[in-house]
Amino acid sequence: MFSASGRQIDRATIIFLTLTAVAFIVATYDVRSSGEGVADTMREGTQSLFTPLQSGVDFVTRPAVGFVDGIANIAGLRDDNERLASRVRELEASASEGESLREQVIQLEAINGLTVPGELATVTARIGGSGASTFDNIRFIDKGSEDGIVAGQAVVDEDGLVGWVDLVSAKASRIRLIIDPAVSVGVRISRTNETGIVTGHGDGPLRLEMFRANEGVNVGDRVVTVGSRFPPGIAVGTIEASAKAEVGFVLRTGVNPAVRLSQLDYVKVIVGWSPIDAQLQDEDATPQTTVVPETTSTTEGSG
Amino acid sequence: MSRSRVALAVVVVVAAIVIQTTVFAQGRIQPLGFAPALVTLVIVALSVYLEPEYLLLVGFTAGILVDLMGSSTLGLWAMTLTAVAYIAGRLKQTVVDRPLMLIFVVFGATVFGQFLYVLLATLFGHDTISEPRVLGNVVMPAVWNVLLAVPVFWILSKIFNRTTSRLAV
Repeated sequence: MFSASGRQIDRATIIFLTLTAVAFIVATYDVRSSGEGVADTMREGTQSLFTPLQSGVDFVTRPAVGFVDGIANIAGLRDDNERLASRVRELEASASEGESLREQVIQLEAINGLTVPGELATVTARIGGSGASTFDNIRFIDKGSEDGIVAGQAVVDEDGLVGWVDLVSAKASRIRLIIDPAVSVGVRISRTNETGIVTGHGDGPLRLEMFRANEGVNVGDRVVTVGSRFPPGIAVGTIEASAKAEVGFVLRTGVNPAVRLSQLDYVKVIVGWSPIDAQLQDEDATPQTTVVPETTSTTEGSG
Repeated sequence: MSRSRVALAVVVVVAAIVIQTTVFAQGRIQPLGFAPALVTLVIVALSVYLEPEYLLLVGFTAGILVDLMGSSTLGLWAMTLTAVAYIAGRLKQTVVDRPLMLIFVVFGATVFGQFLYVLLATLFGHDTISEPRVLGNVVMPAVWNVLLAVPVFWILSKIFNRTTSRLAV
């Protein structure tokens, strides 16, 4: 096309460099606008256009996909059966103990004025698809603002916290999973009642940081939401490795997510607890300084 | 001719994105826990049917759509797939002349695309490079793409050859 330093640059190369420059400018703009503004509108619009297509393809292919997936995982199913049988025995053994504990919990919650997540209004939605690249930690659901969903609401399944709604259109929403590095959740260790922050780490265990821990954490300790942006008491996971609290140092360890993100099908969006409710609760709770530590209330659900 | 082919290519890219986000979504068909990078494979396959300049435009459009349907910074996949399209356009003659080279081109282009995205995402603050399965996410989609290359190339040849013959009539 033209000569530069004695070498010919062809048309394709010029177009390539131009498009790369345009993409770089778009990326810089998106970073500076923190994913809001025009970029967010474009995301919502694209999501709205793709949702019907995804739903149609999902409806048609789901039986075949389930069949192929079942064959691919036939060896894993045997292990799953053995693991589940063992789990049932454990649960049966702890059922009677759990009943008495439940009564105690109900009494304590009544005293503390806490809200049980199971009693909050929820919207059941079906997972319709995931991100378009292998690096995305998002899911799309078939319910949107028409169903009362707003950005920031917690998404759970029967095992615990799945993530939070970060983009909403009229008939669909996008969930950012708890394993996404951009997601941080304020948590409490059930055994010790001490609080910290859990951050996503891709497919690896979540990262737990406790800044003012007096006690250590043990393998298997339950980690639940502390209750600010998200309702309190939702299972987040269990401690992966024991760690001790050293004075003046941050306690860091891993948390295995409670939910099996690879097997999500139906989820519940907790519409009875929005970020506005959380703010109101925070304001109401301001005189009672023990409810939510400031560090967690500012980071929870950020993305 | 070129315009109709570009329009058809965009339709193919949209179909690839829909299949990627549904059939190959997590919890669906993901052998060994990794999905193919179908959009990258389609861009490489389209290099046989499009002029390099048009392939770049289709690659850029595909990247923007992947960005909009994902959670990363807008423009990162646009840069990545534009680069993949550029390389695929350069290697077009190699694939046409020696079909066996297809395996290496598909594998190499996919690894390049995945790795370039990891680098760009990390540069733009996503910390993708430190994720535990990053190596698998770079290599395994390339392996599945090689396995899917034959059916995808065959389907595209049917689509584009039929369209071309209809337009010729």
